[in-house]
Amino acid sequence: MFDLMDSTIFFASYGNFLGLSNITISSFDLVLAYIVTIICAIAVALVLRIPLLPSKPYRYSFDVSALYPTPIIAIGVLSLFFVLNYTFMYNGLVLAIVIGVLSALFVKYLFDFVFPKPLDETAGEDIDE
Amino acid sequence: MNEVIGIIIAAILCWLNFVIVDTYFGLPEQPGVRGASIIGKDIEKRGGDIAGGYFQGNVLCSPDASAGTLLASIGYLLLGIPGGIIAAFLVFIGNRLCADPGYAGTVGSLTATAIIFIASFIGLTPEMFIVGMVIAILTIMGIDQTKASIVLGKIAEKFNRHARE
Repeated sequence: MFDLMDSTIFFASYGNFLGLSNITISSFDLVLAYIVTIICAIAVALVLRIPLLPSKPYRYSFDVSALYPTPIIAIGVLSLFFVLNYTFMYNGLVLAIVIGVLSALFVKYLFDFVFPKPLDETAGEDIDE
Repeated sequence: MNEVIGIIIAAILCWLNFVIVDTYFGLPEQPGVRGASIIGKDIEKRGGDIAGGYFQGNVLCSPDASAGTLLASIGYLLLGIPGGIIAAFLVFIGNRLCADPGYAGTVGSLTATAIIFIASFIGLTPEMFIVGMVIAILTIMGIDQTKASIVLGKIAEKFNRHARE
């Protein structure tokens, strides 16, 4: 099974033959790319007028906000590219900025279409009978 | 490190991680979906605690920090730290499909990834965390539900997240 996983990732990284990526980048560059994509996602989300915090009460709110889930989507997709060993130019910084911008655009315009809110948010409350 | 000792330490770390994260994000406070409410009331009828019952029902009905910890361990085993972050992303998608905001699941995955990374310096491997998380879920859901719900209710009271206030 693990051989299958290794060979799948190895095969998926064949895109590197175009020379568009660095073959290996250091762990410092990885951390820097994560920080850049988080900052970029939050900044673009704020420019697009997504609120910084979800509406109250915080822990039960389904509304999107700049702090959640925009950076989660950004670092998740960036990790997918990194494990496929695809980092594009400048040690992954360009990829980080592009993914940050795209995830903010996704959260602003497509998120409610892909993940609609539950129709009745109090559905679990009314079964006492 | 010896495997048995490592699994015990990993089980304790996983238990603390998912119970603290789940309790902080309000799983004992209200049932997220109808099934969680039914489970909570059934456990209360059998002599358990309603907050612990809601906790167990919510853990059962949607991927919260328990599933997040397990999936983060598996992702870390396969792909390293990016695997843990991918697990957080996938847990978030699964949460939204289960009518759950998803705060507990994603935060639990990320904290579990951090814990596994820190614990790797003292010789704990991700495999130990997978086994430990299965044992931790077993202690909550499998051995004695009513007694576990009373313990969870006491923890919920300490965090000021009890269902009855």
